[in-house]
Amino acid sequence: MSDTSTGGDVEPDHDHEDHHEGPGYATPQAAIEEGEREKLAYVMSLYVGTDVDASDFVAVVDLDPDSETYCEIVDRIEMPNRGDELHHFGWNACSSSCHMDGLERRHLIVPGQRSSRIHVIDAADRRNPELETVIEPEEVFEYDLSAPHTVHCIPDGEILISMLGDADGELPGGFLELNDDFEIEGRWEPPGEIEMNYDYWYQPRQNVMVSSEWAAPKTYYPGFDLDDVEEGNYGQKLHFWDWEAGTVEQTIDLGEEGLIPLEVRFLHTPESTHGFVGAALSSNIFHFWRDENADDGDEKYRAEKAIDFESRDHEDWDMPVPGLTTDILISMDDRYLFGSNWLHGEVWMYDISDPANPRRADSLSVGGTFGEVQEVQGRDLSAGPQMLQLSLDGERLYWTTSLFSSWDEQFYPEEGEQGSVMLKADIDPRKGTMELDEDFLVDWGECPAGPARAHEIRWPDGDCTSDVWQ
Amino acid sequence: MANQQHDVTLEWPDADRETRTIAVGEDETVLEAAERADIALPFGCRTGACGTCAGRLLGRAESAPTASATEPSGGDIENAFSARRRPRALKERHREDGYVLLCIATPRTDCRVAVGSSIHAELVDNPWK
Repeated sequence: MSDTSTGGDVEPDHDHEDHHEGPGYATPQAAIEEGEREKLAYVMSLYVGTDVDASDFVAVVDLDPDSETYCEIVDRIEMPNRGDELHHFGWNACSSSCHMDGLERRHLIVPGQRSSRIHVIDAADRRNPELETVIEPEEVFEYDLSAPHTVHCIPDGEILISMLGDADGELPGGFLELNDDFEIEGRWEPPGEIEMNYDYWYQPRQNVMVSSEWAAPKTYYPGFDLDDVEEGNYGQKLHFWDWEAGTVEQTIDLGEEGLIPLEVRFLHTPESTHGFVGAALSSNIFHFWRDENADDGDEKYRAEKAIDFESRDHEDWDMPVPGLTTDILISMDDRYLFGSNWLHGEVWMYDISDPANPRRADSLSVGGTFGEVQEVQGRDLSAGPQMLQLSLDGERLYWTTSLFSSWDEQFYPEEGEQGSVMLKADIDPRKGTMELDEDFLVDWGECPAGPARAHEIRWPDGDCTSDVWQ
Repeated sequence: MANQQHDVTLEWPDADRETRTIAVGEDETVLEAAERADIALPFGCRTGACGTCAGRLLGRAESAPTASATEPSGGDIENAFSARRRPRALKERHREDGYVLLCIATPRTDCRVAVGSSIHAELVDNPWK
């Protein structure tokens, strides 16, 4: 565990002058000021579950408008095995280690969601990263864990990965810790803290971590079955942890309005105890915060529904279509919450300057079941907006369209046949507007081995969903 | 009889691919035997949890001649394959419909199996459409 984390005592007197020796940026505002425009993206790209005889890969996408290969996949780091389902990934170090001399943001930790294999990629050469180390599934299963998901670094150089299942793909999940040599250190938390797991985020200055719930791998891996919802096999809880101790301090049941809480984010400012989680199935956004008026001994965190996306009728569907709010992110200046309604085909931005009362700023209707835009540059879209990534300056929002191979097959079977796309909107953060950039299109349908899906996106030097501040 | 082999015929119902018959030992899974024969089948977890490798039993050699014309049942699956682990990705209805996880299934008899990416997609429908 971190020996530099400050626990519950707020310690705002770090030396946050211009100089810092470690990776990342001294503050979120420094990331906005010092971060250059994203010229490359790393994107999880996958063939798992298709008949294409190829392994999943990390795509390096050229995002430099002045480059001759703008909007092209300029490098592919192929995994050594098929069947991984590359999904989410993260860095060995981020701004939470910005005071750690000698640490650098250099290695990408790339788990296989289905295989439970964990890859480490050396991205010292940002344009031509190389596979460095592989932790085989059997090593992971020894800790009675499987299905690695969210990767964050711990401020002293270690890495924490949320694991959704036990070695059999059943519950409970937990957390796996890697050391700075990328070896398994062990289970991070004592046994029995949680049953379901999914995403997590930590806010070290407040000594808090929050984790969300999907389901047991054996439940969500094969696809989405409504019977599993009725049987209580999908999650609806948030867990608030003591970050230093690694123990759950409080669990909030979000109820039926909070079914399948997936991506969970604290605001970037290390002072804040506010955050948001997207309840994908209920298609609601919950705001959570620490109640500063709570008495000692009382539950400190509270959660309330802050945004409700209504289901919509469609003439070809028997039942109203839920939005399926599968991803959210917070701009680096903590002004806007962006999100995607994957089934509806919508990407939206809400003003969260008053976090308890989000205010709709703008949205785009593109792809998916109801999208007004159904092709870009003549390329038919199928699935709606899914994984999002925002430029550090908050002026460009990018997204990909694949959710999860088996869930894609269920809701958008064309996604596997055509491959995914990456799209972009230009954002005006002063006016709160977004506009689709129809000159931008990255097409995974043109990959050499065959059409591939595309999932999570990261920038080479930190982004709105990876960086945390102490 | 651990080394006894059975002929497992792989058919791709939704793809323009030639049917292949491979010899699968009772001590190996269909997926392992397919890899040995350089046949790429979909797979994921290799522990029976994810369903990516699902196949559907089309018929058993030892069945009565009429049996191959009927829908396979769960009983047919148990007669056709042993499983190294519990097939956790499959629900009871899947087993009754003849689905089998090729990453953990070892054959007990000669049989024909529908394989390829279209099979695991059959396990779930869009519940709202």
